[in-house]
Amino acid sequence: MSGAETTLTIDWTTRVLEALTYYQLQIAASAMIGLALGVLGVFVVLRRMALIGDALSHAILPGVVLAYILLDAIVGHLEGFWGVWGLFLGALIAGLVTAFGIGWVTKYARAKEDTAIGIVFTAMFGLGVILISLQPKGTHFDLACFLFGLPLAIGMKDFISISIITPLVLLYLILGYRGLKMLSFDSQMAMAIGVRTTWLHYVFMGFLAATVVAALNTVGVIMSVAMLVTPAAAAYQLTNRLSWMLVLSGLFGAMSAVVGFLAAFALNIPTGPAMVLAATFLFGLTFLFAPEYGMLSRSLRRRSVQIHMAEEDVLVALARASEPLSLSALRASLQADSAVFLSRSLKNLKKARQIRKDANGVSLTESGVKEGRMLLRSHRIWEAYLAKNRIAGEAVHPTAEKLEHAHELAEVLAQELGNPDRDPHGQPIPKANGSD
Amino acid sequence: MKDITETAVRFDKVTVTYLRKPALRDCSVSIPAGKMVSVTGPNGAGKTTFLKAMLGLVDVDTGGIEIFGKPLETVRGRIAYVPQIESVDWDFPITAEEVVMMGRYPYQRLLRRPTEKDRQAVRKALETVEMTEYARRHIRQFSGGQQQRIFIARALAQEADLMVLDEPFTGIDARTEATLFDLMRSLADTGKSLIVVNHDLSLLERFDFVVFLNRNVVAAGTPEEVNTPEVIRIAYGGRMVHLDHAEKLIREGKIDVRR
Repeated sequence: MSGAETTLTIDWTTRVLEALTYYQLQIAASAMIGLALGVLGVFVVLRRMALIGDALSHAILPGVVLAYILLDAIVGHLEGFWGVWGLFLGALIAGLVTAFGIGWVTKYARAKEDTAIGIVFTAMFGLGVILISLQPKGTHFDLACFLFGLPLAIGMKDFISISIITPLVLLYLILGYRGLKMLSFDSQMAMAIGVRTTWLHYVFMGFLAATVVAALNTVGVIMSVAMLVTPAAAAYQLTNRLSWMLVLSGLFGAMSAVVGFLAAFALNIPTGPAMVLAATFLFGLTFLFAPEYGMLSRSLRRRSVQIHMAEEDVLVALARASEPLSLSALRASLQADSAVFLSRSLKNLKKARQIRKDANGVSLTESGVKEGRMLLRSHRIWEAYLAKNRIAGEAVHPTAEKLEHAHELAEVLAQELGNPDRDPHGQPIPKANGSD
Repeated sequence: MKDITETAVRFDKVTVTYLRKPALRDCSVSIPAGKMVSVTGPNGAGKTTFLKAMLGLVDVDTGGIEIFGKPLETVRGRIAYVPQIESVDWDFPITAEEVVMMGRYPYQRLLRRPTEKDRQAVRKALETVEMTEYARRHIRQFSGGQQQRIFIARALAQEADLMVLDEPFTGIDARTEATLFDLMRSLADTGKSLIVVNHDLSLLERFDFVVFLNRNVVAAGTPEEVNTPEVIRIAYGGRMVHLDHAEKLIREGKIDVRR
């Protein structure tokens, strides 16, 4: 019975592998590991654990080396079952030792968490390097490959371990979604309602360590922290929903891993750094062009607010002058921030039919007069409010110049002040209905 | 029996120690149910530890805590926690509605999608705090008072009889404070017990019950009973100085305590 099953399994795997070329297999491995690191990275980013992720990836070195030494001594080879899972186990143990070690030092020593991380992971990494250097000459352990990944090094072993760990990571995130969401957002409540937060945390660390090990030949440990953090950070620019952040981050992770792999293959460079740069490029794009949080849209929004404020300043200036103003007189009456946008705001106001231009200069139309008085009212109410709250008379005007744009709030203030009809300089405050 | 149902929280000689430094010492108090209660004291009086002990977030060295007459462990999930506004990550990718839905987690099975009952509880909670129209907004887009109300809605959705609020009045203006008080009062009127960590002495008269804390319970009772100069002098004054000094010497190993 079990013999038949084994044959069946072998048959199935062989057929899949025959269908895939070696090259396709490497691409599939890269995509899957990028996906796994990407989705785990969301919680690394949200829980501000980037440094721990970095520490974990370095600290598994002694685990891998020790497992290597032990396997070599006990099993005698590094093929098949033990070749894949022995190294895994070693790394997993080292990863958990590090996670516990950091937690322990933080709790009991006079050291903050970042210090504890610095102490523990360098110690582990140092131990790993020493263990490697103690090996007799000719032993095959490629430190550079461990650190950075190599396209030619990605083999069947990686494909197998990655295609086992990735579905496990996804399953874990689906099962643990609510718990992880609450742990990341409000760990106090999670603990209070009886979520086993410590357990959840260390299982998460375990998955992190296991995934980093699976990524050993593709991404390399040093680079894996970037594959955790960068796709998640890119996704974070684009969405306000955790579920979407997970989807996008997984997608970005897979995309950058594949692009990085292809570039590495074509140029014969290490895969890890190529994948990381691809992810960084994606992050750069979202950082610049994300619709809500991107640099570009934020500066466009800021600019449109500034233009709007300049338009209002022009209306106030014209309402105050109550006669047509020349362009230069208008410019002189504006504060520097608004003067920059003078021509733009004049164009907008003309389009909105609130001003007109003729030989005498710029003057208000009927609707412009109404708007201007409303703003002037807002300005003078703000002045009255500021003066009443004992801000020296001299400083009142420029501050009110900024605050007048909050005209809805000004009506609240007017009520609080008992609807005054004069500002602190003795100027009349126009009525809300537009009369003097 | 009557006494059991009318006591929301009972501390019986509770001591909590952090690294040999006692944060709460031999605290005993019975807090009545269905009231607005202020837990008040100077900085470092153990207010936060008191709150954490009530939520079961710290290990209690000695003594016991009962919630509605039952051991704390058996009523986990029935106590709602409203965190301090400053301690929340407002950039977290989550909407108001999702925060409130967290209150339903204790009722939800693994992998099950929220049931109609869960959704209804969330809707009703948002309605009570008058935030229905903002349900799908990201939490960053709210004012301090609204942020506070979302977390109160979460406590409501949790259908908890006991709500623990950590300094809800810091960082909000007078108007918001008044709205919040009204909301809390209406909740207490429906039978909820609200325990509020509050350092502001000027607000005490608006509570039903006050616990003065300074490592231990200095006084507990209605504001008329305990908001007296004498109590405040003890809670905020130097009574504990000698004790603290002795503890410091012990901690630093300057006194041989082994004999």
